[in-house]
Amino acid sequence: MHFLSRTQMIFAIGAAVMLLTVLELVRRRRLSEEYALLWVVSSVGMTVLGFSTPLLESVTRALGIRYESSTAFACGVTFGIVMLLYMCTRLTRMGREQHALARELALLAHEVERLRGEREEGRA
Amino acid sequence: MTGPRVLVVVPCHDEEESLARTIAEVRARAPGVDLLVVDDGSSDRTAEIARGLRVPVVRHPINLGVGGALQTGFRYALARGYSVAVQLDADGQHDPGDLEALLAPVLANQADVTIGSRYLRPTGYRAPFSRRLGMLLFSAIAGAAAHQPIADTTSGYRAYARAVMEVCQHDLPQDFPDAPLLIALARRGFRLREVPVTMRERRAGKSFYTLSKSLYYPYKNLLASVMAMLQRSPSR
Repeated sequence: MHFLSRTQMIFAIGAAVMLLTVLELVRRRRLSEEYALLWVVSSVGMTVLGFSTPLLESVTRALGIRYESSTAFACGVTFGIVMLLYMCTRLTRMGREQHALARELALLAHEVERLRGEREEGRA
Repeated sequence: MTGPRVLVVVPCHDEEESLARTIAEVRARAPGVDLLVVDDGSSDRTAEIARGLRVPVVRHPINLGVGGALQTGFRYALARGYSVAVQLDADGQHDPGDLEALLAPVLANQADVTIGSRYLRPTGYRAPFSRRLGMLLFSAIAGAAAHQPIADTTSGYRAYARAVMEVCQHDLPQDFPDAPLLIALARRGFRLREVPVTMRERRAGKSFYTLSKSLYYPYKNLLASVMAMLQRSPSR
């Protein structure tokens, strides 16, 4: 039980520190509110779970997990997987947007070049 | 009154050795069409050569792949009122002598997309076994989706009607616009038709399909083809 309490304490404090770090990054505008959402939700969830022994125990029982520390670990892994998947969807979208911008830039550069050529021909 | 305007889009990536000859050949064999070179982030003199030959060049700042180059060509063609765009490789594989046959069904409004096919008449072309296997698989998938046989899903020699360009300017597979594109177009109700053409050996340069891409290609195309079949049939 002593081991569980210590693990639980580390889990709870770690989640709280993470929450404060995320909020500080948002305050300094180094992390957008949109990207912070998943971090904030998971940090708050893990902090609550960590500081509330009855809640952690009931979640552990409901999931059929033997040890509370395993629940904490499973939460962390699940969050990591969700975050990675979310990042992949964002990367896909950003890649598409980058391609669209590159195409538009190329077409505009061509148009500028064409207009410049016409103007120079007009002067001559 | 003027007839339908045709733009030949030549996607290029490091094609300085073969581009000039391809342009000269198109001008000689199909004098009525306009040309556009889309330089897809080349590191050689591709753009310079095209400009020297007084061919309009749109130059991508980064490499976007064949689909990206084609999409740029479509946007260019739409903005300038072209009725049909033809995709033609710069490496000399596509014979501009086949342009007329490729264009005829689109110009006669009998098809929205024509595909220059290597397999409709005996040409002596024989792909390696692994490639043939892949071609058979993608032909079967594309044929099932389009409800018509499509022998050559990987041909990059195609003509597109304006309505197709309007759809594809926003959404087109970037790296390999092969079977998934044909499936998506068929599901939108566009009429596809294969036209027999002669494919030649590359004159120079490197293929878009490198070794690493040849491993990635079947996976990506298979997944994209199945997804294109599963997606809700979009309206035009």
